[in-house]
Amino acid sequence: MSERQNQKLSKEAEHAVLQQYTRRHFLKDGAMGFGALALGSLLGGCFGKSSASAHTLFDASNPLASRPPQFPGKAKSVIYIHMAGAPSQLELFSYKPELAKLDGLDCPQSLLEGKKFAFIRGVPKMLGPQAVFRQHGKSGLWLSDNLPHLATVADEIAMLNAVTTDQFNHAPAQLLMHTGSARLGRPSIGAWVTYGMGTENKNLPGFVVLTSGGNNPDAGKSVWGSGFLPSVYQGVQCRSEGDPVLFIKDPSGMDRDLRKASIDAINKVNQEQYAEYKDPEILSRISQYEMAYKMQISVPDVMNINDEPQYIHEMYGTQPGKTSFANNVLLARKLVEKGVRFVQLFDWGWDTHGDSAGNAVDIGLVNKCRKVDRPITALLLDLKQRGLLDETLVIWGQEFGRTPMQENREGKKMPFKGRDHHSAAFNMWMAGGGIKGGVTYGETDEIGYNIVSGKTEAYDIQATILNQLGFDHEKLTFESQGRNFRLTDLSGKVINEIIA
Amino acid sequence: MILLAFNVAGFIGRFHPVLVHMPVGILMLAALFIALSVYDRFKSLKVAITISLVTGMVSAVASCVTGFLLSKTDSYESTLLFKHQWYAIAVAIVSAIVLYLHLKNRETRWGAGLMVLLVMITGHLGGSITHGSDFLTKAFSSGGGGSDPFGKPIPNVQETVAYTAIIKPILDSKCLSCHGPNKQKGRLRLDDPSFILKGGEDGAAVIAGKPLESALMKRILLSRENKDHMPPPEKPQLTKQDIDLLNWWISTGANFDRKVKELEQSDKIKSILKSLESEKAVEEIPLSDVPEQPVEKGSEEAIQKLKERGIAVVPIAQNSNYLSANFVAVEGFNPKDLQLLEPVKKQLIWLKLGNMAVTDDALESLGKLSNLRMLHLQKTKITDQGLPQLIKIQELKFMNLGGTNVSAKGVEQLKGLKNLRQLYLYQTSISAEELNNLKKLFPKVEIEAGGYQVPALDGDTTVLKGPITK
Repeated sequence: MSERQNQKLSKEAEHAVLQQYTRRHFLKDGAMGFGALALGSLLGGCFGKSSASAHTLFDASNPLASRPPQFPGKAKSVIYIHMAGAPSQLELFSYKPELAKLDGLDCPQSLLEGKKFAFIRGVPKMLGPQAVFRQHGKSGLWLSDNLPHLATVADEIAMLNAVTTDQFNHAPAQLLMHTGSARLGRPSIGAWVTYGMGTENKNLPGFVVLTSGGNNPDAGKSVWGSGFLPSVYQGVQCRSEGDPVLFIKDPSGMDRDLRKASIDAINKVNQEQYAEYKDPEILSRISQYEMAYKMQISVPDVMNINDEPQYIHEMYGTQPGKTSFANNVLLARKLVEKGVRFVQLFDWGWDTHGDSAGNAVDIGLVNKCRKVDRPITALLLDLKQRGLLDETLVIWGQEFGRTPMQENREGKKMPFKGRDHHSAAFNMWMAGGGIKGGVTYGETDEIGYNIVSGKTEAYDIQATILNQLGFDHEKLTFESQGRNFRLTDLSGKVINEIIA
Repeated sequence: MILLAFNVAGFIGRFHPVLVHMPVGILMLAALFIALSVYDRFKSLKVAITISLVTGMVSAVASCVTGFLLSKTDSYESTLLFKHQWYAIAVAIVSAIVLYLHLKNRETRWGAGLMVLLVMITGHLGGSITHGSDFLTKAFSSGGGGSDPFGKPIPNVQETVAYTAIIKPILDSKCLSCHGPNKQKGRLRLDDPSFILKGGEDGAAVIAGKPLESALMKRILLSRENKDHMPPPEKPQLTKQDIDLLNWWISTGANFDRKVKELEQSDKIKSILKSLESEKAVEEIPLSDVPEQPVEKGSEEAIQKLKERGIAVVPIAQNSNYLSANFVAVEGFNPKDLQLLEPVKKQLIWLKLGNMAVTDDALESLGKLSNLRMLHLQKTKITDQGLPQLIKIQELKFMNLGGTNVSAKGVEQLKGLKNLRQLYLYQTSISAEELNNLKKLFPKVEIEAGGYQVPALDGDTTVLKGPITK
């Protein structure tokens, strides 16, 4: 190597080192180093008085260690099933006989004034419910015939009838539901929960994501991202087909011992880096390497559903070796049994605009329902018989609902019956984890267009989930960019009406 | 114009809290210099005495003026204010006299002594106005005057008068410093039923039966960022429990004489009321699987050993010493591992041993964990022989024996567990008939044997090509 190249290289290294020292870094280190000096105490004020409490939760050397919640929570884990694309509440959960009478009539102008739709233009026609509804269980919960299995466990469910959002496009609406903000950059609820509680099983990640339906959700991996939380808290996406976690296998020609040796070597370098820069992200990185190494054994084991008995496969409708929603649901139960804190399921393909048979509310939607109805019902029953339902919160979520009007994309009649995105009113439900069964909360008007009472926002759902796990959503905070952030931002009210 | 002048005056008045500390400090210092100047070596302080007396006197006058303006903007308790005002004027006058005497080279020591005394009295009176007249003594009366209104447990809470025993202490500790005998911000007093009913300048504070229409509740429930929120953000806030109790009291009619038991109570309120009877005010509703009595911290050393063995041991909540333990990540379980739990047997209330090779012999050490509320033994190697050991765990409320070799006969031995409420027997050999018998034998216990099926429907596997014709 020539002298010149050498000089260039050492200059580059010097640069890289200097880049580590940002102004903030200097001020913070200075403040700590001279803690006794007035300067330190003065600057301390600039970094927020709660910085100490914000960091007590994060133990950089063991960021996933199991931690106590703020108060004894009923739920120990969460299975959050998100139907990406937003199923039509009017064909599943929201019984609106009045809407049937309006079927085919022009939508009144009063409903359209000042409203914005993703696709509806001009004056659309009203579309009556395309499903038969019946009451089920002791509670008399109205459910459509599209979910015949779920109807048998109606008394386990707390139905939220008046969920609302201010987003009418998939990606921002999904982000709002999962991160508390329609814009990118905030940690997802699973990340917040693992940050708050860690994981009970040191060999498995605390937050696992499983997707089905052929696509990832529109908002991409940010819906299970860690935002400004240490990256160790982001969701780990696992697959039920092929390698459960991509790139986790040893490369060919490298055995497990050699792998271990190389990880040890990398970690040693990282330790030295940490000693020099004290950046907690380096410790996160070290523990992630170690976690990945442990996961090589533990994940394929827990992600294998072949060992489940035949009657369980029959119950869930699972077929080992395939990617399916049913398989993911069964995996979710296995993961929760193994101490995983937060299992996030996304099922894609519920965006029933009516532009094709697969996207028709009377064809495609019915087929989607048939794929999820049985496994979800099996999940509730299986958790119940294993004594896990009391401590596992199960959520049916979606980013928004669908219009009581038939979609008329570009003002034209659609080939199939479909509905546009509707943000003002839709349904979600929760079960288990200390939630009351057989109750409903909130009401919408006669056609399911607007909310009448019991308004439930994404923040309220997030606050309720955290509450069931033992957290006051106002007190689970993390300091970023000079202020404390929380999942529910400035809103959020626990829905006490559905808590047992 | 008049309004503007008043506002400017009010603005200037708000400098009072800043200015008042100057005469206190400076005049005290002046008095110290005067006392010291008795000695020859401090004779040189003469100039300093002049300077400090002049600045002290000027700041005393400025404090008097700003204080007078401030007193016009808010309603303060008049007798305290009256005293504070005249003592303050006395301070200003006496300091002027001392300055005069000093400049005339006369004896100033007696004057300085009087000045110190007046400064102290005035300062105390001023402090009483802002912090409440019991500010100094509160430290003795209720362990530091923290934010807990109920310093002591209330025995037999249902027999007490709701207002006197529960509501008044909350108002006293959180509201009275501004809405009491000493100060009546917004012309509101909350120290006596008659004042509460009368309300303040915005009308009634409490509307019986309508908590959400009562100004008191409205202000409390506003977000802390809202300028109308009460108490002001820098003051101790009401806890959730306080708010729940106030809400309950107003919604049941805001009655001042009735006993707690005469008022309607939801389950939530019942449990909060119950918690007032115990030593420590419980912020959250105690769950049935968490003991009400607090416990001392478990041995750090023992907890460390458990962690090293790969057992996830964590307190059940941040402010609790009770522990939960989960063996889920333990590799190569050895029945001896259970002995590691013994040192924390007082603290350990939840234990998960599912899928571990726990044998009947090992149950003997389990039986010693007498405080357990929740025990997961599913898919372990225990049999009927071991079950009698578990009777010793009298606190047990939840037990999972799913997937074990226990029989109905064996389970019958658990009859002695009086607190048992949930029993899981999924994947055991117990027949439907035996199960029915067990349910009769354990009337209080919810027995879950599972075995659920989701019967296959035609629709589960067929794919719809077109709409179903009705």
